[in-house]
Amino acid sequence: MRYLKALGFTLIALILTVVLNTKFGDTPPLGKLLNPFRGFWQNAEPRHYDKENTLKIRGLKGTVSVAFDERMVPHIFANNDYDLYFAQGYITAKDRLWQMDFQTRFAAGRLSEVVGSKAIELDRYQRRMGMAYGAENMIKVIAEKYPEVGKITDAYADGVNAYINSLSPAEYPIEFKILDYKPEKWTSLNSALLLKLMSATLAGGSDEFYMSNILKKFGPDVTKNLFPDYPFREDPIIPKGTAWDFKPLEIPKAPDNPTSMQNSSIRTKQKVDGIGSNNWAVSGSKSASGYPLLENDPHLDLTLPAIWYQIQLNAPGVNVYGVSIPGSPCVIIGYNQKVAWGVTNVGSDVLDWYNIQFKDASHKEYFYDNKWNSVKQRIEHIAIRGGETVDDTVLYTHHGPVVYLDNKKPKKFSKAANVPTGHALRWIAHEGSPDVYTFHLLNRAKNYADYRKALTYYYAPAQNFAFASVDNYIAITPNGYFPLKWEGQGKFLLDGSKPENDWHGRIPAEQNPTVKNPPRGFISSANQSSTDQTYPYYLSWEFGSYNRGHRINKRLTVMNHATVDSIRSLQNDNYSILAEDILPTLLHAVNTEKLSATENEAFNLVKDWDKFYNADAIGASIFEIWQAKLGMEIWNDEFGGAVPMRMPSRDRTVELLLNEPNAKWYDNVNTPQKETRQDLVLHSFKFSVDSLQRKYGSIGKSWQWANVKHSHVPHLAKIAGFGSKTLMNGGSKSSVNALGETNGPSWRMIVALGKPNKGFGVFPGGESGNPGSFFYDNLIDTWTNGKLNELLFMNSKTDQSNHIKKRTTLTNN
Amino acid sequence: MLIIFIALISLLLQFFLPWWIIAPVAFGLAFWRAASGKHAFWSGFLALFLLWAVMALFKTIPNENLLANRVGQMFGFPDWAFNWIIMLLITALVGALVSGFSALAGFYCREAFLPEPQERKAV
Repeated sequence: MRYLKALGFTLIALILTVVLNTKFGDTPPLGKLLNPFRGFWQNAEPRHYDKENTLKIRGLKGTVSVAFDERMVPHIFANNDYDLYFAQGYITAKDRLWQMDFQTRFAAGRLSEVVGSKAIELDRYQRRMGMAYGAENMIKVIAEKYPEVGKITDAYADGVNAYINSLSPAEYPIEFKILDYKPEKWTSLNSALLLKLMSATLAGGSDEFYMSNILKKFGPDVTKNLFPDYPFREDPIIPKGTAWDFKPLEIPKAPDNPTSMQNSSIRTKQKVDGIGSNNWAVSGSKSASGYPLLENDPHLDLTLPAIWYQIQLNAPGVNVYGVSIPGSPCVIIGYNQKVAWGVTNVGSDVLDWYNIQFKDASHKEYFYDNKWNSVKQRIEHIAIRGGETVDDTVLYTHHGPVVYLDNKKPKKFSKAANVPTGHALRWIAHEGSPDVYTFHLLNRAKNYADYRKALTYYYAPAQNFAFASVDNYIAITPNGYFPLKWEGQGKFLLDGSKPENDWHGRIPAEQNPTVKNPPRGFISSANQSSTDQTYPYYLSWEFGSYNRGHRINKRLTVMNHATVDSIRSLQNDNYSILAEDILPTLLHAVNTEKLSATENEAFNLVKDWDKFYNADAIGASIFEIWQAKLGMEIWNDEFGGAVPMRMPSRDRTVELLLNEPNAKWYDNVNTPQKETRQDLVLHSFKFSVDSLQRKYGSIGKSWQWANVKHSHVPHLAKIAGFGSKTLMNGGSKSSVNALGETNGPSWRMIVALGKPNKGFGVFPGGESGNPGSFFYDNLIDTWTNGKLNELLFMNSKTDQSNHIKKRTTLTNN
Repeated sequence: MLIIFIALISLLLQFFLPWWIIAPVAFGLAFWRAASGKHAFWSGFLALFLLWAVMALFKTIPNENLLANRVGQMFGFPDWAFNWIIMLLITALVGALVSGFSALAGFYCREAFLPEPQERKAV
């Protein structure tokens, strides 16, 4: 009995301890997480902090001073570039280490190591798309050709590692404790992976699989008609009529039968339009101060910790303020005392699929240029938490990796839906490139010539680089590595056996579209077509729709004596060009006699709506659901079947509604009767009212746009409680203020050039990545209200200012 | 006294060692000092309940309970301002249970392996 009791209670104690120290599925190890000595309580930061401190860090060459302003933005002062980037790495890691680690793992296909086998398909996909392969190429090219870039990324990595090495388990960021793993050594490869991740986000989409299926089903005439190579309405980035002052290379000739045919039976979702960005600059002739004003607001999927990290970097030869990507050196969007710049996505076609004909089932050789060529194998080792490492063999042709062989594509994995099986991927993200150097040079740029030189080092993801300088230059350049292609190359799947289908080198960097000081007195971009149809080269057949760009240009055209406030009011503009274009036609098509009382009330609301997607607009809620449903009703019967296809663009839908009232596309082919435009407009209107009524009750406050849109900023790993509350914001995907449910302006900046240059900015988050910090989401309210903070630009480390709240010295002894 | 021993030694060792060190500490001290099963369990339980609660308060009060309220939401509680109290109780209870059962096991192991005829004085 005695022994039994002893044994019994020892077992209970032992099991209890072991269970509380173990992670079960997604449940964190509770004893580890909850204990107040090393668990989450240690991440609770006090509101009050030391005003001054010194940190001893091995590896620095000299002493670095860091001043923190009231928003905890670090202003770093170093004596040389090594110390500068070292300190940037150290300080960024101090605020954002988990975010850096998690995003890198996501990019590299290494999430299974942390979360177990549920991430295996995602990891496989990332690796099969060649993310790590591209990052390794980048490191290789940097080592061989650009040692100066290697010095920057290595210094940054040294700084990150100095921080990691200083940590005790109690100090690990909270997400490491919740997910139960440890930070690992940072390398330059990680920085490369994060840049590749930007390419995946911004230049990783492709429609050619869908387009080929459409071509096969409807033939070339219908395809050309519904998916034209230039939009119906456009207001291009480089103003219409701008002359091209260069002699273009010979444009490759389109072969007779370049496409490959394939289809399979995976349904896909409609491509989301409206993820994009704005930037513009007005010249001194249009501003009140006589100096240019520049703005930028890149739209991304919003997350906490914030996507961007504000920082000022100062060393001999450089003094720059702006936002950086946690995990990558330099300022990406910002200004110094001479120039300011900002970026939006170009969206040119830099990703193509090539059909591969293998010799036999061993997949050792493929046919190209009339002979058999050998396939290279790359074996990916995917470590899985609580399981065995999985080896995955990826086949590489000279085009790139064959992402999925026939019948090897996972069925229920939406990311892979647009991947054609048996095709090799040619993608700009596989290229080794020195992109970081562009930002290193822009940070130090003094004038237009420096800007032009900096851009030549940039490959991907291609961006519209807006520029303004204190000597009254404004300019914009859709810039990156643009492959030299024949017209329409890559709109459809390509036959990978013919050399004429390969990329034919690149468009020379200096011949990328660009404009400087245009007569209209401003430059702008909002992801629309880069140029009019006179540009000699082919970039893509489809860009973002013209809505935002057109609204920006219309307002800038009439704007004079512009100030920071007038620019800010345009940043927050909720007007919808889409509604302007189609609402009158839709309203006209509704037979009001067929409406119920509620529908009539809703009809009057949308009729009287001023077309602004303001937070309290009920008309906006009705119109938004109405137009989206109408698009579905027009196209879904033809394009939503078992064969994966995409729908015609919003631009083409607008053209159809306005100019083709009797088109056959209105008829639902799945019903015996014949539907007309009028039927669809009425039906989708009733649907809109009905769905709002079901969800929000009778017409009233709860129908207001902000409530229906439900904007919020989720946590990066979707941890409940770590995201933001619901934000009562206006804006829409077709407005300049492009705030959707969880995507929108990830950083809003305005720089008033002058002497001195003044910056204003805000992002939806905070400098700290720690949910237990008072600086985690402290900027969200300012952002929500459409306001900006004046940014503190220091000229030297001895600057005194009430805004400086803390000073830290980093020394090596 | 046992309660103070357990609390003090658990406090010191947790600065260097993982949280589970509280189990062997409670086991060992109860093995050495506990007078009865009840005495062992409640000494271990209360020592760690108080130690973890006080330590958690020490971290959460200067933080104005910002983080503990968020973590409460992660645990599935609604967006209340009092989540931190729930988290504090759960935390203290976890430490208390591990320590309490370990102390109990320590006492009974002693009873099993080093039986002494005379009664020990409670300490």
